[in-house]
Amino acid sequence: MNLFRSEDHARRWAQFNPASEEGLGFIRLEDLVDFFGTESRRHMLDPDYLSAWYPRRAAERRAVLERVGKTTPFWMGTPGTP
Amino acid sequence: MPDARLLDQMFARIMRSLVDTGRAPHYAELARALDITVPEGRQLLHDVMQAYPIGWLHPDTDYIASFPPLNNLPTQYRVTTRGEQKWFAQCGFEATSVTWLFPGETVRVQAPCLDCGEVMAIEMRDGRLLSREPASLVGHLNWGFGPSRGKPPFL
Repeated sequence: MNLFRSEDHARRWAQFNPASEEGLGFIRLEDLVDFFGTESRRHMLDPDYLSAWYPRRAAERRAVLERVGKTTPFWMGTPGTP
Repeated sequence: MPDARLLDQMFARIMRSLVDTGRAPHYAELARALDITVPEGRQLLHDVMQAYPIGWLHPDTDYIASFPPLNNLPTQYRVTTRGEQKWFAQCGFEATSVTWLFPGETVRVQAPCLDCGEVMAIEMRDGRLLSREPASLVGHLNWGFGPSRGKPPFL
């Protein structure tokens, strides 16, 4: 889960996983900002974050991934992935 | 079954300490702050990490290594805000979430590209992307979210 200067830079990375190419492992920065900017993220400093907000993240993640068209298992993960 | 109120309290103290100081506290410090015994503090820390499995303790220790979006163990994702660089993001993805820990502040995350070592940077404020360097900067998921379990999480 890294940032790279461009897709070509990622492909030249010594630890690049070719399966990530097949899984379309790249994500635009704007989509990443959406992905990690869901409502629950805005409450990480709330006193009840762990019990009240963290459990909402899995559904939020799925919603964003569907919106940006990343619905493959590579991105959606297993059920319950936080 | 851990007490949900205590779990929330310990979580909040860890996150607040990371934000305020750039460091995560030790369980003995947390125990004192929460008015519980040190062994109870250690157990509660493990319970918190179990409830928040996207973070982790350093292997074979009770030391908090990662507590996303920040990391107690330095990473290449250096975070600068309030004129100071004393924080680290867990990974490139979580780097885009650090902004929510510093409301009203401009947050800069700078890292070397793992391919060429050249600098990359993003600046955000209250969740809004202000700038990026270079314009072609992208995120990359190397192993997939589900299947990535068992792989080094930073990949």
